[in-house]
Parts: sequence; structure tokens; C-alpha cells
Amino acid sequence: MIWILQTAIGGLSTGAVYALVAMGFSIVYRTMGLVNFAHADVVMIGAYVTVTFFLTAHLPFGVSLLAAILITGALGVVIERVLRPLESRDLNLMLIGTIGFGIVLESLAILIWGSFGTAVPTPIPNLPLRFGGLVVTTYQLLILAVAGAVTALLFWFLDRTKLGTAMQAVAMDRVAATAMGVDVAASNALAFAVGSGMAAVAGALVGPLLYVSPGMGASIGVKGFAAAILGGFGSIPGAIVGGLVFGLVEAFSSGPLSAYSDLITFVVFALAMTIRQTGIFGERTVDRA
Amino acid sequence: MGAAAGGLVVENLSVSYGQVAAVRGISFSVPDGGSLGIIGANGAGKSSTLKALFGLVDSRADTMAFQGVSLRSLPPHRIVTLGIAYVPEGRRIFPGLTVRKNLLMGAYRQPWRRLDGRMERVYELFPGLKRFDRTPAGALSGGQQQMLAIGRALMSSPRLLVLDEPSMGLAPVLIDDIAGVLRRLREQGVSMLLVEQNAKLTFGLTDRCVVLENGRVVEEGSSAALRDDPGVRRIYLGM
Repeated sequence: MIWILQTAIGGLSTGAVYALVAMGFSIVYRTMGLVNFAHADVVMIGAYVTVTFFLTAHLPFGVSLLAAILITGALGVVIERVLRPLESRDLNLMLIGTIGFGIVLESLAILIWGSFGTAVPTPIPNLPLRFGGLVVTTYQLLILAVAGAVTALLFWFLDRTKLGTAMQAVAMDRVAATAMGVDVAASNALAFAVGSGMAAVAGALVGPLLYVSPGMGASIGVKGFAAAILGGFGSIPGAIVGGLVFGLVEAFSSGPLSAYSDLITFVVFALAMTIRQTGIFGERTVDRA
Repeated sequence: MGAAAGGLVVENLSVSYGQVAAVRGISFSVPDGGSLGIIGANGAGKSSTLKALFGLVDSRADTMAFQGVSLRSLPPHRIVTLGIAYVPEGRRIFPGLTVRKNLLMGAYRQPWRRLDGRMERVYELFPGLKRFDRTPAGALSGGQQQMLAIGRALMSSPRLLVLDEPSMGLAPVLIDDIAGVLRRLREQGVSMLLVEQNAKLTFGLTDRCVVLENGRVVEEGSSAALRDDPGVRRIYLGM
């Protein structure tokens, strides 16, 4: 029985990272109906920027993470601003634009940090903590704590602040929000900034678990994207549940059949989607009128 | 007409969607403290006219100004800062936000900490909304949503209230309620631009009216005179 709990803890901690990535996808999608395909590469940039401040500049991990959030947040604003002219013409053009932006980011990463990956040590000593027969590592706890704190902050922002309320209003009805005085373009830029900042957190946390490399966005991005769809694309609670479920399925399939874990995870995902196409929490469509 | 500085002045406004002209060079004005009704059938160009005011559709006009300020000189989200509030067609409340937050969104351009009892005044005007303060607006009935849409617009303390078919889809008793509220607001000196298919309601609430057909003004005059006009009575009042 203990291995079930043990596997679940591992699954939840990687799932928390997927949830962060999924929330970043969803916050942009719910606000403007756009799938931001550059998001996966923003995760990668976030990981690299954290590593650079942490390992090269020898700043504390928390400071490095904050710097990465600010830099990717600004990057999100740049992506939205560059692609904004496409929005009024055709949202599909903007979507293709985000794919292009992702390629640019990946190439930039190769130019700046080289095409080889970097192994990253955990920011805190990765000690095993024993609870009875159960072993939880300090880094797993750190991931869960940071992801939980960021999620709580996002809910606070959306629910309790004026900007967050306006962002929700834009997601529900752009025209009415405009008439009330909300600058929809600025709100979109803010959604990109928030989503990208969350990508940096995901990238920073996942760095020590994976190799930080220019191509890392592909695998974590696809999983975060799938997690968002599983939860119901555009739903923030859905992104959280989708991410955790995705992490759990992956963990349980990698125990006995580690070589096939991705295959099994995505087959489970595909089956789940044929049963419930809208995802776990999905029902709403984004207003584009 | 002409270059009157006060109120809303619109001269020679046209709106087209591609090759299709929805509004073909109409002029109207709402003097400060006054009221104007725009009546017409579906597709007459009523909603397009209002959307043009708020910059929500592309339009051309010789003049489109409020208190002497050109509406074209501002981005759509700044129009409300001139003192014009919009109650859109189909209410368009924010369904997932609570009633309270919907009202707060109406005062988006003001600091929320200094609304000086505005929300209380809206609740006083619509006592039925108060108990839904913390309820998601999407759970309200159609009539309650219409009241919320008007209350939300009032939260900006507008000088001109622009309403797009507030009676649409509502039971007669609810239309009477809304008419009562609009009458009270008129007495308080709020100017009003009311777009309606319900001509009877509009004649009763406004000083003057224009009648639109196919994007053109076909009749205009005092609401009382139009109400007694045989042609208007036959077409719009079914008498």
C-alpha cells in the first residue's frame, strides 16, 4: 500500500508543475480565446533565466526566481504587443504568430546559452524525510509549497483585485467590459504577463528535475497543454486538477513500465477526452463578439 | 442642430458592414438634461448607431460629440469617462461575477474605495437586487439582469444614459418597473438616449423621438406629436 502513496506524492509534485504550465495556457485562453503556443518556450526561458541568476550570478534561488518571473512577465507583454496587430484581423494568424514566437525564443536560447543542456542542482538540499515508511523529499515539498503559493496568489489576484476582476469581466464579455472603461488590449497584455510569469515558476521548479535545455519546452509544454485540455481549457480550477491528474497518471505508469510512461499517459489522456470532450471543468466558451 | 456645445450631437452618421450600409447619414441630438428616443424595427440601424457612439463599430460622421468633445478622439474604453454610460442590447452583464462586482465594474474608471454611497443608491433604485449582492449575476432572471445592467451603467454617475432595447424579452409588468425607474432618473436630471422597438414605451419616456427605417431617419419630432401621428400610430403602435 505504501508504494501507492509514495508514487502519488511523486506524481503530485510533477503534476503541480504541469498545473502551473496549464494555468498559464488557460489564463490567456480564457481572456482572449487564444492558445499561446509560445508558452512552452517561455517556460524554457524562465528555467534558463533562473539558472543564470542562481548558478552564474550566485543569487539566492528566491531572488533568481523573482527576477525570472519579472523577465518572462515582460516577455509576455512583448509577445502580446508584437502579435496584437494580428488579433483584430484573424485570431488564427495570431495563433500562428505564437508558434513563430516560440521558435524565435528557442533559437535565442541556443544563441545565448548554447544548444547543450545544463544540469541544475536543487536549490535546497534534497533530503529525504521519512513519515513512517513514506519518503518525501524536501524538494518535492518545496515544489508543492511554491506551486500552491503561486496558485493562491493567482486566485487572490483574480478575485480580490480590481485588475483581476476586470480581466475576468473581459473574459466574460469584451464589449461590455470596454463600455465600462476597461482597456481590453491592456488586459490581454496583463494576461500574457501573468501567464508568462507562471511559466517562469514552472520552469524554475522543473529545472532540477529535468535537464534545462533549449528544447525542454516541447515536452513540458505539451504535457501542460494536455493538462489544461484535460481540466477544461480556459478553466483555472480545471488547469490545476488537470495538471495533478496528469502528473499522477504519469507517475503510476512510469513505475512498472517506465519506458512506456509517456505513451500510457497520452493514451489515458486521449481516452479521457473521447469520453468527455470538454474536459473535467470545461463548459464555457470564450466571448469573441 | 448645429454646433451646440451641450449634450450629444451627431451629424451625418453612417455605419457599414462591408458592402452593407446599416446607417445612412443620420443626424440627431440629445440636449443636456433632455431625452431622445430612437425607434425602428429590427435591422433599422438602431443598435449600429449606438455601437458607433461607443466606437464598437467603424463609422463615419461629420460630428459625433458629447459636451463639445469628439467621441472619435477617444479610444472606446475612454468614452465612459465623458459621462456617457451604456446599457447594451441583451443586457450583457458579467455572468460569472457577483451582482456587487458587476456594479463595481460599472464604476471601473473611479477609485472603488471612494464611491460615496453610489452602490447604496443603485440598490435603493432596484431594491430587488440587494439580496443578490453576492450571487453570480448569471443566476438572475431576465428582468433582474436588465435592472443590473441599468444599475451597472448608473455606477459611473453618467450625465447621459444610453439604453439599447431595455424592454426586450421582458414581461409587461417588468417593463413597467423599468419604465418607472427610467422616469425617476429623468426627474433626477439624467439625460437619456433610448433605443427601442417598443414605441409606446419610448413615447412615454422621452421628449423627442426619431424613427429609423433602413438606416435613415423617416420621422422626427416631439414624442407627443409622433404618438398622435396617424402613420406612426398605424405602423409602430398597431392602432
